[in-house]
Amino acid sequence: MKTTSRQLPSFKPSRRWLTPGAIAVLLAFAVVFPQQVAKDNVWNLFFLMCLGIAMGQSWNMLGGFAGQTSLGHAAFFGIGAIITRVLWFHGTPFFLALIVGGVAAATFAMIIGAPTFRLRGAYFAIGTLAVAEVLRITIAQNQPYISTMPGSMIAEYNLPSRYWLALGLAIATTGAAYMLLRSRWSLGILGVREDEEAAQATGVHVLRHKLLALGLSAVFMGLAGGVFAFKQISYYPEAPFFPTFTFEALMIAYIGGLGTVSGPVIGGIFFVVVRERLAANLTDVHQVIFGALFVVIVLLLPGGLLEIWDRSKRLALRVIRR
Amino acid sequence: MLLNLEGVSKAFKGLKAVNSVSTRLEEGKILGLIGPNGAGKTTLFNLITGVYPPTEGKIFFDGKDITSVAPHARCWMGIARTFQLVRPLPELSVLDNAAIGRVYGRDPIRNRSKAEKASYETLEMVGLAARASEKAKSLTLVDRKRLELARALAAKPKLLLLDELLAGLNPSEVLTSMALIQSIRDMGITIIMVEHLVKAVFGIADQIVVLSAGELIAEGTPAEIACNESVIDAYLGRSLHA
Ligand SMILES: Nc1ncnc2c1ncn2[C@@H]1O[C@H](COP(=O)(O)OP(=O)(O)OP(=O)(O)O)[C@@H](O)[C@H]1O
Ligand SMILES: [Mg+2]
Repeated sequence: MKTTSRQLPSFKPSRRWLTPGAIAVLLAFAVVFPQQVAKDNVWNLFFLMCLGIAMGQSWNMLGGFAGQTSLGHAAFFGIGAIITRVLWFHGTPFFLALIVGGVAAATFAMIIGAPTFRLRGAYFAIGTLAVAEVLRITIAQNQPYISTMPGSMIAEYNLPSRYWLALGLAIATTGAAYMLLRSRWSLGILGVREDEEAAQATGVHVLRHKLLALGLSAVFMGLAGGVFAFKQISYYPEAPFFPTFTFEALMIAYIGGLGTVSGPVIGGIFFVVVRERLAANLTDVHQVIFGALFVVIVLLLPGGLLEIWDRSKRLALRVIRR
Repeated sequence: MLLNLEGVSKAFKGLKAVNSVSTRLEEGKILGLIGPNGAGKTTLFNLITGVYPPTEGKIFFDGKDITSVAPHARCWMGIARTFQLVRPLPELSVLDNAAIGRVYGRDPIRNRSKAEKASYETLEMVGLAARASEKAKSLTLVDRKRLELARALAAKPKLLLLDELLAGLNPSEVLTSMALIQSIRDMGITIIMVEHLVKAVFGIADQIVVLSAGELIAEGTPAEIACNESVIDAYLGRSLHA
């Protein structure tokens, strides 16, 4: 009798409100804190964290859920940026321009995905890397001049509006990842990641599910690019096509916890904070340090930072049960 | 006829793994597919499920030529299988593993929670309901085999292919599984089972096909096969008569 009463941990009900509670605290902080401090560097930092979260979620939908490694996400980011900016500068309402940018990125992704997914192995990873680089070089040659916001837009420019948009995107992308994981489609998408042949034998149309994950992933990466184009006053049109954006998205997904919804959130915050610290203090070597940190995390914590949380939770449970 | 193989062959770089096999299978029967290691049994399953196309011959299922139909579409038509080397989806829960079959198989339930409910019943049938929320990778080999069966069953097949489902089970587990296979047949599902446990197959099969080096060397009822000289020479040896 004694043992049974001890074996019933009262942990379950308290865990239920933990996740919504964590979300509420995080959101309240994201809304209140930057307004209270109201400094440019804080708006900027929070903007970058939100952009990082959105990029990490995007990469994770394809890389984490469907198990397809993309090395060309910068192409989707760049397409979103260039299309949004050009349409917006030519008088299209911003939100319409943003959505067209996201759809264009997804369309482009389908065009690369349809042939490369049919081949097995590393073709998709290599294909996306090659296509993204070709695109970057083409843009660099055809659009060599810096793109600057017109004076009228600069006159109305304010950082908070940029941040609210990025926050909205981070929330929307995280919500989309959550809904995707709860949907029936995720069974097929995760099935493809786990074992293509077994999933196919069970009726999963493999190509269709890979394309679905790719399309969603590319939409959000394109939207992130559009938000970048909305924020930056001037940059070379080639800049959002830099492979850095691919690797940031990838690292955020890995660092936080691949294939989970909260992983890219944790990863995005952690990555941006550490990067900004390192970039400020150790300008020369910060990329090397980052590379090393990444390798350490992936080797020691294959489940990402989220694994620390899970492990400590399990430890706590064990201690409580004693 | 539910399944009709017409002169089906499959060659791997010159090696004829399956050589001009023709056979027919009626609905509601159990076909035992036996033969020595490397005889081409698994290859024949791969041809029926469409893992690769045959180099020669045609496959008809339910009256339709499916020779060039993709594997997922064959599952939609009602062909499901288990793998000889089990292939559960390790990071997914036991319930999700089965739910995949219910969501994507024949006569699918597109609503996920309804599909999960239906899959739970399938898990109960194979004795895995208690593990529904565990990850598939945490299961023992025996339970993984049960899970393979549940995933295939959840796809509501008309034809179920079982590749050495009994291998690695202890005698009492073999008995339970055989009863389960018979009850699946009684649900109206046609079964082809590859098995090295000849006694077990002969006990429940309606029809036996013997493959040896890719060729169909004998076909008939268990009783006929048990005294077929060439089968005894090629495969059975004295084991059945001892
Ligand atoms: N993908 C492949 N590529 C090349 N050869 C193959 C392939 N699959 C099977 N084979 C060969 O085809 C032959 C038949 O193999 P198969 O796996 O069908 O035999 P089996 O009857 O299932 O044997 P077992 O009882 O050992 O499972 C073997 O010689 C095998 O090596
Ligand atoms: Mg075999």
